Amino acid sequence: MADGTHVAQGWDSASLKALFNPDTGWLDRRVLSDQGIYQLELERIFARGWNFMCHESQLKEPGEYLVSYIGEDQIIVVRDEDGQVNAMLNTCRHRGNALCRAEQGRAKSFVCSYHGWNYALDGRLIGVPGQSTFYHGDLDRSGLGLRRVRLESYLGFYFATLAEDAPSLHDYLGETGRAGVGMMCAHGEVEVVEGVQKNVIDCNWKIAVDNLFDWYHVPYSHASANSAGFFEIAKIQFPKNQMVMLGEYGHAIGGPGIPKETQDRIDLLSDEEREAMTRAGSPEAPRIRPRKATELMGEAGVRSQGHPNIFPNLWVTISGTQMCLRLPRGPSQTELWWFTLVPKGAQPEAKRQIVRRLNHVFGPAGLLEQDDGENWSQSTRAARGVASRQLGLNMQMGIGHDEVLTNDGGEHYIEGLIGEHGQRWLYRAWTEWMAARDWAELKANHSLPPTGAI
Amino acid sequence: MDTLERPRAATWAQTPLTARVVLQYEVEQFLYAEAALLDARRYRDWLGLVADDIEYWMPIRRTVTNSDLDREFTKPGEISFFDDDRLYLEMRVKKLEAGSAWSEDPPSRSRHFVSNVRILDVAGDEITLEACFHLYRSRLEADVDNWIGRRVDVLRRTGESFRIVKRHLFLDHTVIQSTNMSTIF
Repeated sequence: MADGTHVAQGWDSASLKALFNPDTGWLDRRVLSDQGIYQLELERIFARGWNFMCHESQLKEPGEYLVSYIGEDQIIVVRDEDGQVNAMLNTCRHRGNALCRAEQGRAKSFVCSYHGWNYALDGRLIGVPGQSTFYHGDLDRSGLGLRRVRLESYLGFYFATLAEDAPSLHDYLGETGRAGVGMMCAHGEVEVVEGVQKNVIDCNWKIAVDNLFDWYHVPYSHASANSAGFFEIAKIQFPKNQMVMLGEYGHAIGGPGIPKETQDRIDLLSDEEREAMTRAGSPEAPRIRPRKATELMGEAGVRSQGHPNIFPNLWVTISGTQMCLRLPRGPSQTELWWFTLVPKGAQPEAKRQIVRRLNHVFGPAGLLEQDDGENWSQSTRAARGVASRQLGLNMQMGIGHDEVLTNDGGEHYIEGLIGEHGQRWLYRAWTEWMAARDWAELKANHSLPPTGAI
Repeated sequence: MDTLERPRAATWAQTPLTARVVLQYEVEQFLYAEAALLDARRYRDWLGLVADDIEYWMPIRRTVTNSDLDREFTKPGEISFFDDDRLYLEMRVKKLEAGSAWSEDPPSRSRHFVSNVRILDVAGDEITLEACFHLYRSRLEADVDNWIGRRVDVLRRTGESFRIVKRHLFLDHTVIQSTNMSTIF
């Protein structure tokens, strides 16, 4: 990948690393406002990482496509005639026009609306008007296919990267990332419900990501949803039973955790007994996971009722029933895409109930999410002030009071009170991604989850 | 639902003009009064205009090609922005009244415009109408939102007034260009 911008923009590796101090928890606010940092993020984080594209259930038939994003690059994801799912840049090789201008649809091929260049569902250029006349037969179509993008899937979730030298998706996700994706499949196969809620918030994408680890804000930011009777904070927050899992390359899971003694008792139950226990419990309590969930999430991971973030920007929430992409749109703007999952083949009435509840949690009109956006946009706005941005952002909660445990499955996790371990892990990884000029440097210079005092 | 609704009841079309004019006037005055309540932030009073069996729904609109227009809007039972019955609307009002609804404190300044009102059908005591809406919201120093679209309402006559039985809101936007939709349409 072309990457010569860092010097021109005044950010060398040392100055990028200095933007966050994981030992003190101070973050330089320029990470929320600086245009040069944003351009580097597009190259060094979004183009380099594995970005969530879609779930396999969104592309059922050959010819079905949707347009997603890697940073600000539009990506066509399409199921071709052979059933294979392909990803390519949504830009014609002639004048750069977008092939797909709809956000989703069905196509036999992709014809550019500018001059009629025609591409197959695997990106091959199969037709050029005037090829033998105006081009005199000189045009070599074989080198002018759509730019293909690496695409891999895990449990039916497709991710794409622009980096040829990126590790496989499986290795990239690691234990923690796989537990995060696995959370969505813990009760069996799932499908995405038709309709992705999309809205734009005037905030930096990272402040939205940092918030997903933040169980400190819930009773205050979301007090009105509690007062309105939508949910009882006391039944979902568990401030003393928190678990944060740390993963390589910045993945993390943070939030309430089932205490080990409780899980030990659950482990003795059959799946039928677990379902009965769920039905007997509070309707707000997460469904108790079946035995096989441990295979997908690990022994520690299966105890998490928290929020995974698949680095950089895929939030898995409500115990795996929804996910939200935070797409960067400049340092001061983020587009949010909400996906909702139901069990594959769910009965219409059961599906209706799940969908109705989830329609009210997140999204721009969601009873919870309504109150998040302005906190993020005002924090972002303040970072543009020359004096305000000289004050760091404080993420010191819990430093030095906890311990990272590990187990035979290679999981690394912290149990204790609400803290900011997840946020610090996010920004620590972010500086490492930003300071590394390519995957080789990142592989050599990134933090592995530690053990011991943290 | 996503195609243009046309007057469909022969009886309504055949109703004498004077009766249609009177009903049109009554309905429009009701809609304007309702809009004024929302603009005045009198949410509790607004709830008084909502029927117990209300269906308040705003599907997601997608950018699709002409060949795919049957999938332009999400359908009932799929994901939507609003999917409320009376209980959910009461929750929204309770939330606004809670004193801790930060997304509305300081409160938004909103203006509800209703226009192009066409009565499509009258069946018993229920009137189906189509209208255009423009909800303007200004927040804080300079945040501005404009939500524009078409809506289908069903009103039920109750003595001298009406109750809102159905409100289906079809936005003219796909990606919502707003921090939130913490308001009532």
